[in-house]
Amino acid sequence: MSVTDTLLVFVGIPAAAVLVIGGLAYASSRGRGGGGSAKRYRPGRPFDFTPVWFLARPEQLADSAGTALAAGAQAPALSSRKQEQADREAPASGTGGASDRW
Amino acid sequence: MEPEAQVTVGETQAATGNPPEMSDGPFSTRQLLRIDEALRLADHGTGLVFSIFVGGLDEPIREHAERLHRQLADPDKSVLIAVSPNQRQLEIVTGRHARKRIPDTYAKLAALSMVGAFSGGDLAGGIINGLDQLASHAGKG
Repeated sequence: MSVTDTLLVFVGIPAAAVLVIGGLAYASSRGRGGGGSAKRYRPGRPFDFTPVWFLARPEQLADSAGTALAAGAQAPALSSRKQEQADREAPASGTGGASDRW
Repeated sequence: MEPEAQVTVGETQAATGNPPEMSDGPFSTRQLLRIDEALRLADHGTGLVFSIFVGGLDEPIREHAERLHRQLADPDKSVLIAVSPNQRQLEIVTGRHARKRIPDTYAKLAALSMVGAFSGGDLAGGIINGLDQLASHAGKG
Protein backbone atom coordinates (compact mmCIF):
# COMPACT_ATOMS: atom_id res chain seq x y z
CA MET A 1 0.00 0.00 0.00
CA SER A 2 1.23 3.41 -0.87
CA VAL A 3 1.24 6.24 1.64
CA THR A 4 -1.86 7.75 0.03
CA ASP A 5 -3.77 4.48 0.34
CA THR A 6 -2.76 4.11 3.98
CA LEU A 7 -3.86 7.62 4.78
CA LEU A 8 -7.18 7.13 2.99
CA VAL A 9 -7.99 3.89 4.80
CA PHE A 10 -6.79 4.75 8.30
CA VAL A 11 -7.66 8.46 8.39
CA GLY A 12 -10.21 9.13 5.67
CA ILE A 13 -12.67 6.35 6.50
CA PRO A 14 -12.73 6.97 10.31
CA ALA A 15 -13.09 10.70 9.72
CA ALA A 16 -16.00 10.11 7.34
CA ALA A 17 -17.69 7.82 9.84
CA VAL A 18 -17.31 10.35 12.65
CA LEU A 19 -18.75 13.11 10.48
CA VAL A 20 -21.76 11.04 9.41
CA ILE A 21 -22.65 9.95 12.95
CA GLY A 22 -22.09 13.41 14.36
CA GLY A 23 -24.22 14.96 11.65
CA LEU A 24 -27.07 12.52 12.25
CA ALA A 25 -27.04 13.17 16.00
CA TYR A 26 -27.03 16.93 15.48
CA ALA A 27 -29.83 16.81 12.94
CA SER A 28 -32.07 14.68 15.15
CA SER A 29 -31.57 16.91 18.18
CA ARG A 30 -32.39 19.98 16.11
CA GLY A 31 -35.41 18.32 14.54
CA ARG A 32 -37.06 17.58 17.88
CA GLY A 33 -36.67 21.14 19.07
CA GLY A 34 -33.56 20.88 21.17
CA GLY A 35 -33.99 17.29 22.26
CA GLY A 36 -37.70 17.67 23.04
CA SER A 37 -37.03 20.00 25.94
CA ALA A 38 -38.18 23.16 24.20
CA LYS A 39 -41.86 22.32 24.70
CA ARG A 40 -41.50 21.77 28.40
CA TYR A 41 -42.41 24.16 31.12
CA ARG A 42 -39.57 24.73 33.52
CA PRO A 43 -40.16 26.61 36.76
CA GLY A 44 -38.54 30.01 36.64
CA ARG A 45 -38.35 30.14 32.86
CA PRO A 46 -40.85 32.35 31.05
CA PHE A 47 -43.92 30.48 29.87
CA ASP A 48 -44.78 31.88 26.45
CA PHE A 49 -47.09 29.21 25.09
CA THR A 50 -50.55 29.91 23.74
CA PRO A 51 -53.13 29.71 26.53
CA VAL A 52 -55.13 26.49 26.34
CA TRP A 53 -58.52 25.69 27.80
CA PHE A 54 -59.52 22.06 28.09
CA LEU A 55 -63.09 20.85 28.28
CA ALA A 56 -64.23 17.27 27.97
CA ARG A 57 -67.12 18.54 25.86
CA PRO A 58 -66.62 21.91 24.22
CA GLU A 59 -70.38 22.47 23.99
CA GLN A 60 -70.27 23.01 27.76
CA LEU A 61 -68.96 26.45 27.04
CA ALA A 62 -71.76 28.97 27.47
CA ASP A 63 -71.63 30.13 23.90
CA SER A 64 -74.10 29.28 21.20
CA ALA A 65 -71.27 28.68 18.75
CA GLY A 66 -70.06 25.79 20.88
CA THR A 67 -73.31 23.84 20.60
CA ALA A 68 -73.03 23.46 16.84
CA LEU A 69 -69.68 21.73 17.04
CA ALA A 70 -69.26 18.01 16.84
CA ALA A 71 -66.81 16.44 19.22
CA GLY A 72 -63.30 16.89 17.98
CA ALA A 73 -64.19 19.78 15.74
CA GLN A 74 -62.43 23.04 16.12
CA ALA A 75 -64.11 25.22 18.66
CA PRO A 76 -63.81 28.96 18.27
CA ALA A 77 -62.20 30.96 20.99
CA LEU A 78 -64.51 32.75 23.33
CA SER A 79 -66.32 35.56 21.62
CA SER A 80 -65.84 38.96 23.07
CA ARG A 81 -69.60 39.27 23.45
CA LYS A 82 -69.64 36.41 25.90
CA GLN A 83 -66.70 37.82 27.79
CA GLU A 84 -68.43 41.19 28.11
CA GLN A 85 -71.53 39.44 29.32
CA ALA A 86 -69.55 37.60 31.95
CA ASP A 87 -67.98 40.86 33.02
CA ARG A 88 -71.32 42.55 33.46
CA GLU A 89 -72.85 39.81 35.55
CA ALA A 90 -72.57 40.23 39.25
CA PRO A 91 -69.87 38.04 40.74
CA ALA A 92 -71.45 34.65 41.20
CA SER A 93 -71.95 34.25 44.88
CA GLY A 94 -71.21 30.93 46.46
CA THR A 95 -68.26 29.92 44.37
CA GLY A 96 -65.59 28.20 46.35
CA GLY A 97 -62.29 26.59 45.69
CA ALA A 98 -58.70 27.14 46.62
CA SER A 99 -55.61 29.05 45.58
CA ASP A 100 -52.00 28.17 45.85
CA ARG A 101 -48.61 29.28 44.63
CA TRP A 102 -45.45 27.45 43.80
CA MET B 1 -55.57 41.69 27.68
CA GLU B 2 -54.54 38.10 27.29
CA PRO B 3 -54.60 36.50 23.87
CA GLU B 4 -57.79 34.57 23.40
CA ALA B 5 -57.57 31.07 24.72
CA GLN B 6 -57.80 28.03 22.57
CA VAL B 7 -60.68 25.79 23.50
CA THR B 8 -59.53 22.28 22.91
CA VAL B 9 -60.84 18.77 22.95
CA GLY B 10 -58.06 16.51 24.03
CA GLU B 11 -55.33 16.53 21.49
CA THR B 12 -57.20 18.72 19.04
CA GLN B 13 -55.89 22.21 19.31
CA ALA B 14 -58.19 24.80 17.92
CA ALA B 15 -56.70 28.11 16.99
CA THR B 16 -58.49 31.21 15.90
CA GLY B 17 -57.93 31.81 12.23
CA ASN B 18 -54.62 30.06 11.81
CA PRO B 19 -54.26 26.30 11.48
CA PRO B 20 -53.63 24.34 14.68
CA GLU B 21 -50.02 23.93 15.56
CA MET B 22 -48.89 21.35 18.01
CA SER B 23 -45.75 23.24 18.84
CA ASP B 24 -47.39 26.23 20.48
CA GLY B 25 -48.88 24.34 23.42
CA PRO B 26 -46.93 23.35 26.50
CA PHE B 27 -48.00 19.70 26.23
CA SER B 28 -46.90 16.82 24.07
CA THR B 29 -49.46 14.75 22.21
CA ARG B 30 -49.18 11.96 24.76
CA GLN B 31 -49.80 14.38 27.61
CA LEU B 32 -52.78 15.89 25.81
CA LEU B 33 -54.29 12.43 25.39
CA ARG B 34 -53.82 11.69 29.08
CA ILE B 35 -55.38 15.00 30.10
CA ASP B 36 -58.31 14.35 27.78
CA GLU B 37 -58.80 10.90 29.27
CA ALA B 38 -58.60 12.25 32.83
CA LEU B 39 -61.11 14.99 32.02
CA ARG B 40 -63.55 12.57 30.45
CA LEU B 41 -63.28 10.15 33.37
CA ALA B 42 -63.74 12.95 35.89
CA ASP B 43 -66.79 14.35 34.07
CA HIS B 44 -68.32 10.97 33.53
CA GLY B 45 -67.71 9.71 37.06
CA THR B 46 -68.99 12.74 38.92
CA GLY B 47 -71.56 14.40 36.71
CA LEU B 48 -69.77 17.68 37.29
CA VAL B 49 -68.04 19.59 34.51
CA PHE B 50 -64.30 19.90 34.94
CA SER B 51 -62.25 22.24 32.84
CA ILE B 52 -58.62 23.25 32.83
CA PHE B 53 -57.13 26.55 31.79
CA VAL B 54 -53.38 26.88 31.35
CA GLY B 55 -52.14 30.35 30.49
CA GLY B 56 -51.67 33.82 31.79
CA LEU B 57 -54.26 35.30 34.13
CA ASP B 58 -54.78 39.02 34.60
CA GLU B 59 -54.55 40.66 37.97
CA PRO B 60 -56.45 40.20 40.17
CA ILE B 61 -55.91 36.55 39.44
CA ARG B 62 -58.76 35.15 41.50
CA GLU B 63 -61.31 37.42 39.82
CA HIS B 64 -60.04 36.49 36.38
CA ALA B 65 -60.35 32.79 37.20
CA GLU B 66 -63.89 33.32 38.46
CA ARG B 67 -64.73 35.21 35.28
CA LEU B 68 -63.50 32.28 33.20
CA HIS B 69 -65.57 29.99 35.41
CA ARG B 70 -68.70 32.05 34.69
CA GLN B 71 -68.16 31.57 30.96
CA LEU B 72 -68.84 27.87 31.29
CA ALA B 73 -72.28 26.62 30.34
CA ASP B 74 -73.33 25.61 33.84
CA PRO B 75 -71.07 27.42 36.31
CA ASP B 76 -72.87 26.01 39.35
CA LYS B 77 -71.93 22.48 38.41
CA SER B 78 -68.49 23.31 37.06
CA VAL B 79 -65.01 23.11 38.47
CA LEU B 80 -62.33 25.23 36.83
CA ILE B 81 -58.67 24.58 37.40
CA ALA B 82 -56.75 27.66 36.26
CA VAL B 83 -52.97 27.42 36.09
CA SER B 84 -50.80 30.43 35.42
CA PRO B 85 -47.22 29.21 35.07
CA ASN B 86 -45.77 32.69 34.69
CA GLN B 87 -47.31 33.95 37.89
CA ARG B 88 -46.78 30.54 39.48
CA GLN B 89 -50.36 30.63 40.62
CA LEU B 90 -53.02 27.94 40.75
CA GLU B 91 -56.71 28.66 41.21
CA ILE B 92 -59.44 26.09 41.67
CA VAL B 93 -62.93 27.56 41.28
CA THR B 94 -65.93 25.44 42.23
CA GLY B 95 -69.49 26.43 41.45
CA ARG B 96 -72.26 26.63 44.02
CA HIS B 97 -73.40 23.06 43.51
CA ALA B 98 -69.92 21.67 42.92
CA ARG B 99 -68.75 23.22 46.17
CA LYS B 100 -71.08 20.95 48.12
CA ARG B 101 -69.42 17.93 46.53
CA ILE B 102 -65.89 19.29 46.81
CA PRO B 103 -65.48 21.35 50.00
CA ASP B 104 -62.84 24.03 49.97
CA THR B 105 -60.60 22.03 52.29
CA TYR B 106 -60.40 19.21 49.75
CA ALA B 107 -59.85 21.64 46.93
CA LYS B 108 -56.96 23.00 48.96
CA LEU B 109 -55.56 19.50 49.39
CA ALA B 110 -55.72 18.86 45.66
CA ALA B 111 -54.14 22.27 45.06
CA LEU B 112 -51.26 21.37 47.36
CA SER B 113 -50.46 18.19 45.48
CA MET B 114 -50.76 19.93 42.12
CA VAL B 115 -48.46 22.72 43.21
CA GLY B 116 -45.95 20.10 44.33
CA ALA B 117 -45.85 18.65 40.83
CA PHE B 118 -45.77 22.08 39.17
CA SER B 119 -42.77 23.18 41.17
CA GLY B 120 -40.97 20.17 39.75
CA GLY B 121 -41.88 21.30 36.24
CA ASP B 122 -44.51 18.60 35.70
CA LEU B 123 -47.56 20.52 34.48
CA ALA B 124 -49.44 17.60 32.95
CA GLY B 125 -48.79 15.23 35.83
CA GLY B 126 -49.96 17.78 38.38
CA ILE B 127 -53.12 18.51 36.44
CA ILE B 128 -53.98 14.84 36.04
CA ASN B 129 -53.33 14.05 39.71
CA GLY B 130 -55.34 17.06 40.84
CA LEU B 131 -58.25 16.10 38.59
CA ASP B 132 -58.17 12.59 39.95
CA GLN B 133 -58.20 13.80 43.55
CA LEU B 134 -61.04 16.23 42.97
CA ALA B 135 -63.08 13.69 41.04
CA SER B 136 -62.58 10.89 43.51
CA HIS B 137 -63.61 13.14 46.37
CA ALA B 138 -66.71 14.36 44.54
CA GLY B 139 -67.77 10.75 44.15
CA LYS B 140 -70.59 9.50 41.96
CA GLY B 141 -73.05 12.08 40.77
